[in-house]
Amino acid sequence: MTGAILRGRELSGDVDLEVDAVVIGTGAGGSVALRELARAGLNAVALEEGPWSTAADFDQREDHMLPRLFQDMGGRATEDMGIRVLQGRGVGGSTVHNTNLCKRTPEPILDLWARSHGVSGAGVADLAPSFDSIELDLAVSEIPAAARNANNEILRAGCEALGWKGGPLKHNRVGCQQSGFCELGCAYDAKQNALKVMVPQAVAAGARVYADVEALRLEHDGQRVTGVRAVARGAGGDVVASVNVRARVVVLAASAVGSAALARRSGVPDPYGKLGRGLRVHPGGVVAGRFDRAVEGWRGIPQSYECTEHLSYEPGSDRRVWIVPAFAHPIGAAASTPGFGAAHMSAMRAYPTLAVLTAMVHDETSGEVLVGDDGRPVLRYAMSDADRGQLALGLAACARLLLAAGATEVSIPAIPSRRVASLAELDALDLSFVRPHAVPLTAVHPMGTMRMGDDPRASVVSSTGEHHQLRGLFVSDGSLFPTSLGGPPQISIYAFALHLAPHVVARARG
Amino acid sequence: MRAPSDRKVSRRRLLGIVGGALVLGASAVAVVRTRGYSVPADRRLVAFSPWQFIVAQHAARRIVAPDRPGDAAIPAADDLDVAGFVDAWVARMDGRVRRDLGRFLGYLEHAAPIGAGFATRFSRLAPTEQDEVLASLESSSSDLLRAGFDGLRSLVFMGYYRDPTTWAIVGYDGPLVNRPAGGWR
Repeated sequence: MTGAILRGRELSGDVDLEVDAVVIGTGAGGSVALRELARAGLNAVALEEGPWSTAADFDQREDHMLPRLFQDMGGRATEDMGIRVLQGRGVGGSTVHNTNLCKRTPEPILDLWARSHGVSGAGVADLAPSFDSIELDLAVSEIPAAARNANNEILRAGCEALGWKGGPLKHNRVGCQQSGFCELGCAYDAKQNALKVMVPQAVAAGARVYADVEALRLEHDGQRVTGVRAVARGAGGDVVASVNVRARVVVLAASAVGSAALARRSGVPDPYGKLGRGLRVHPGGVVAGRFDRAVEGWRGIPQSYECTEHLSYEPGSDRRVWIVPAFAHPIGAAASTPGFGAAHMSAMRAYPTLAVLTAMVHDETSGEVLVGDDGRPVLRYAMSDADRGQLALGLAACARLLLAAGATEVSIPAIPSRRVASLAELDALDLSFVRPHAVPLTAVHPMGTMRMGDDPRASVVSSTGEHHQLRGLFVSDGSLFPTSLGGPPQISIYAFALHLAPHVVARARG
Repeated sequence: MRAPSDRKVSRRRLLGIVGGALVLGASAVAVVRTRGYSVPADRRLVAFSPWQFIVAQHAARRIVAPDRPGDAAIPAADDLDVAGFVDAWVARMDGRVRRDLGRFLGYLEHAAPIGAGFATRFSRLAPTEQDEVLASLESSSSDLLRAGFDGLRSLVFMGYYRDPTTWAIVGYDGPLVNRPAGGWR
């Protein structure tokens, strides 16, 4: 088969395909699975709900890129609207808008999965070749200190002043112009992501990608998967064609939200009630520090330094917070600045002098992905008291870092905002108000809704990634992870997809 | 007209009694009280009904009210047609979101003023009174109402700060792509 990326919106008629394997989603996990299938000489296609964009489409405008690159136009949220959930759509998935952070799955997390969740064959040594290969493909390297912008430098200075653990991050960029618009897609094609690297490699090996095609239902007989029923949508969302694919293997790679929702919608067997459960999201809140100099945090690489002082991977730890910078462009900044009217505009005038940090919780709350009456995903996530405590700890730590780095005032967005100008004021601050709805929260890392493990009573898929009950159905995205990671998931998703690909290929061969 | 403070009869108590249930009640009220709203003939709405547009327009004017009144460098919400932008944006969102926002606008117009101590529709209140209503939503004890207000607020900010004429207010120099020779300002 000749590889290609096709736009579903340009289809002139219904499509009926019979292939060896169909992959749903083209982000980190889906693109690797597709590539490996194609490289094995198999007839493989991918269905991607969102559009196919190129660097020329990324115009650095928030109002233009939110609808193009994000699910629900950037407005996806938990069912109670307490946490905004940013997820990608389009060829390349979330790797198109993410901030390119590259960390391997921490060893304690892999050990935990083996020890407590029945995951086999996924230890550090087992995964090392996959991590090595992925990091080579994506040109992963440490972000040099010279490329650290003022916002990140403030985090470094705060860590140093407090004697806290911190360090430079790794990324997958080549030819970075340091424009600072990473979360809106890279206009300079510097991101070595699924869109630029993995999907083209898959296409070069003969895979076909259908963009604008939404999978509606997995076809199966209760024992084995037989294909996918989908529709191609036009620019306005109207259905322009049906797309039916018959295949021995279906790979779910539509994210921990999309994959679980599709599986549930399709009546995939779930005898032990595990499908869709165990949702983790890394909920994060922000703290802004005002400086008496220009910071202009929208310039440069958005995240190049991390603070791990409060990050332990031990289950139940009282230190489960990962801190990184989190600067936003004006629309995002306005939305996360409390208030309205004159007071809000006045606060926005401080924008160039602000440094912003986020505390992401390595969460243990167990959420769930359900399916609404309209067939769309519903994210149920009620943050546990323990995780609320971690969030409060994290916000306080962000404030401390900013003050230590020289902020004249630190603000925790809330109604009313909590402002402190000294460590003494911070120490006196009652943080019991911190919870969803009281502070603006964002999550960008859904995980864990089709978790892997060898025990069918405790997991949805086996350690090979294949569904326990439905032969030929594989998962290749963050749904696999039995717990949250406590850090950026993209490299873990890429690597697990590569690690599990031989099982997918073997099944697709029949 | 009495001062706003005179009308705040047991505001907290009232809010405590009605709570989130008012959202549904207000939706029902909104269904029957949607007359008397008109938009210019050349205004083509794609998601909102006329009454929803009027309510969104009034809310937008207050949500991005200028901090320096009279400063010609600060565009008003109407200058940028923020409500029109929100209407077009919402039209592209899924039906569930459109329904929820419509219900919230109904609540804002008909029930929220009562909760804030006013016996008049939101769109007919004076600007300072509208601010009081919006503030009551922002600080409501109901997570649902606060979330609804935050959703509307976010859409309005999107409609406002998307425009290059607002970037100078916040000291932002804008995208590098397609940047005019003299800069966005």
